[in-house]
Amino acid sequence: MPNSASAIEQAFPVTGMHCAACAASVSSMLESTPGVESARVNYANAEAWVAYDPQKTTPDQLRKSVQQVGYDLLISEENAWDEQAAIQATELKAAQSRLIWSAVFTLPVFTIGMFFMHWEIGPWVSLAFTLPILFYFGRHFFTRAWKQARHRQASMDTLVAVSTGIAFLFSLFNTLFPQWWAAQGLEAHVYYEAVAVIITFILLGKWLEERAKGSTSAALKGLMDLQPTMVTVVDGEEERTVEASQVSVGMLIRVKPGQKVAVDGVVTEAGSYVEESTITGESLPAQKQVGDRVFAGTLNQQGSLLFRADKVGKDTVLSQIIARVREAQGSQAPVQRLVDRIASIFVPVVLALAVLTFILWMAFGGEQAFTYALLNSISVLVIACPCALGLATPTAIMVGVGKGAANNLLIRDAKSLEQARQVTAVVLDKTGTLTQGQPKVQATYPEWTAWGKKDQAAVLALEKASEHPLAKAVATFAQGALATQVAEFTNIPGAGVSGKLGKTVYRVGRIDWLESLGAKKAENMPGLMADWEAEAHTVIGVAKDEEMVGLLALSDALKPSAKDAVKALQNQGRKVYLLTGDQSAAAAAVGYAVGISPDRVRARQLPANKSAFVKKLQEEGNTVAMVGDGVNDAEALAVADVSMAMGQGADVAMDVASITLMTSDPRSIAQALRLSEKTVAGIRQNLFWAFIYNVVGIPIAAGILYPFTGFLLNPMIAGAAMAFSSVSVVLNSLRLRGIKL
Amino acid sequence: METKEYTSNINCNACVNKVAPHFNDAEGVEFWAVDLEHPDRILTVEGSVSAEQVQALAQAAGYTVAPR
Repeated sequence: MPNSASAIEQAFPVTGMHCAACAASVSSMLESTPGVESARVNYANAEAWVAYDPQKTTPDQLRKSVQQVGYDLLISEENAWDEQAAIQATELKAAQSRLIWSAVFTLPVFTIGMFFMHWEIGPWVSLAFTLPILFYFGRHFFTRAWKQARHRQASMDTLVAVSTGIAFLFSLFNTLFPQWWAAQGLEAHVYYEAVAVIITFILLGKWLEERAKGSTSAALKGLMDLQPTMVTVVDGEEERTVEASQVSVGMLIRVKPGQKVAVDGVVTEAGSYVEESTITGESLPAQKQVGDRVFAGTLNQQGSLLFRADKVGKDTVLSQIIARVREAQGSQAPVQRLVDRIASIFVPVVLALAVLTFILWMAFGGEQAFTYALLNSISVLVIACPCALGLATPTAIMVGVGKGAANNLLIRDAKSLEQARQVTAVVLDKTGTLTQGQPKVQATYPEWTAWGKKDQAAVLALEKASEHPLAKAVATFAQGALATQVAEFTNIPGAGVSGKLGKTVYRVGRIDWLESLGAKKAENMPGLMADWEAEAHTVIGVAKDEEMVGLLALSDALKPSAKDAVKALQNQGRKVYLLTGDQSAAAAAVGYAVGISPDRVRARQLPANKSAFVKKLQEEGNTVAMVGDGVNDAEALAVADVSMAMGQGADVAMDVASITLMTSDPRSIAQALRLSEKTVAGIRQNLFWAFIYNVVGIPIAAGILYPFTGFLLNPMIAGAAMAFSSVSVVLNSLRLRGIKL
Repeated sequence: METKEYTSNINCNACVNKVAPHFNDAEGVEFWAVDLEHPDRILTVEGSVSAEQVQALAQAAGYTVAPR
């Protein structure tokens, strides 16, 4: 937050950053700009948060200082996020064309290396094709490896750069001076095909990853689209339409039925239902009385709504959700990939082995010690690069994603598939996740079949005519009763509806309203009502003249598989929590029904509470999976390590979440976690197969067999290692298709 | 007061809405309803009205009914 009163904090997308070091450079440039108090640059979502004094500097100036070091700041606020999405699309396209061209160039190199290795000008042709592969399409491996090397870090990039680089230089030397080795009585081999294939395979992996990169900006755009752009402002007698950004605190705003609320405020004229699922997650619209709060992004269902704005612009609850989703998406801790972890150990070990080989040959190599030492230590580095390395993770992920799709799990972000298996705590939203999200008649008194035909017909006719959200559920339930229409239909907002069949007056609505009009309850009704209310049902009554003839209990029904779903997660040894924006009684009833202990149930959770809860679990050392369906869950989804959205939920939730459960069946949660376990097991096996042939090849390359058989590394061995490991990896990935979830 | 049943071609909810004003305003009709799930769309009418009157009411809304 800015320190001085005059400073403002603003987020700008940054383009051109390719590593954490770039982020550091951008942030130091920003901080050294006069007028800037502080700057935080987020590498993960390519964004800079700058607190600056608008009197002393402007976004334009900020942009100029960032441009000085070769990056760019997008400052046109309106289109910034679109622009970023477009840039992301260009990057994917670039990765694709790199892959295609690299593959095209690799084909001849591979053919020569495998089938025409004794062709005299073969090495020269291969060299010509390998050059662009390595230094144009694959140049990023070298730049990234170099940057990491400066920080004394090694990753897959280092391994790729070191081994392809050395193999290339070695081959280049042998192409230019084949007689040098021949003069020593040794054969000079070239390994261009290994270089080309490795780069192409790894570019394939990178392209698959780029494709799986989530479109985080789509989620933010979805959230921003919840705010209407035009607003009807009431000014005395006059009503005029202005842009939402021009609304200021204190203005009277009219919202017509079906329109969205643009800013937060307090209702001044009642008589409407507002669907507030963006804030509470409840699909059941809330009735608005004078003095009630309304929120930006909620939907006015019927009746015109008049309210006075009291929070506008970035102060609205929705804007705060947007800001926090944006921030949370950027602050996601980067996950260290399994492959990078292995590479960071493998690279130094291989380098050490190469040095050891050199020393040993120098010591015990006899007459030609130096020649052998050089040849064999280079051979160690050449054979060490596991060609199938680039395939190990992407192929397993691809099969995993496909397997997920076959099971109605839409996995958008490959990272989540690698991480989900570590989940220790699962946080479930109630409405729409464990429950259907729609109210349903759960019970009636008397049994519905025992109701008089006329009473049934009256309930159907009245509720069909009513606009109340609960009435729809009752009408659906009563479908099949005799169809008629009441005379003198009246709707009393907040109470119920009434109408006449012949001379009989029927009323359906709140019990206290019916009683106030003289309807007498049957003896056992109060007891029943108390029971139902304890189970978090909403109870409404049906009165015929002065007699209460029946009761209806409504609530949001559990999904049939909810209990099994929770049990499956608990059986996997995971802690399961329930969060809801709903009332305590409803939360407790659902928690009890699905088997979540009361101390793991939280009711009345606002979007910010939910994300705070997820953060708290993370601070306690948990890897947290959040499952939700609404805009109100977006913030918590963005914060969680693994996020899952219900396919029937809000688009925004699906945009934020890394996994979408297409059938909205909560049992899919455990399936997704299990799929992750299986996929990561597959990745591990793949890495084993990718490395094993090369590891076996290292001693041969080091010349361990030479004293006995005179055998040194040649392209046959390198080629065989390459072929065997690639085939093993691909076969093992395909094997994943057969697993049971 | 008596209850009579008629077969009808009042086939759907929209048809019910169309006949409703005629029956609701009719003298002597205490209760009327159509079983939309019955193949013959049985119209039940309670009150002191003759079959001819009921037929006339339905006719006025554009439907035909016949005593069962």
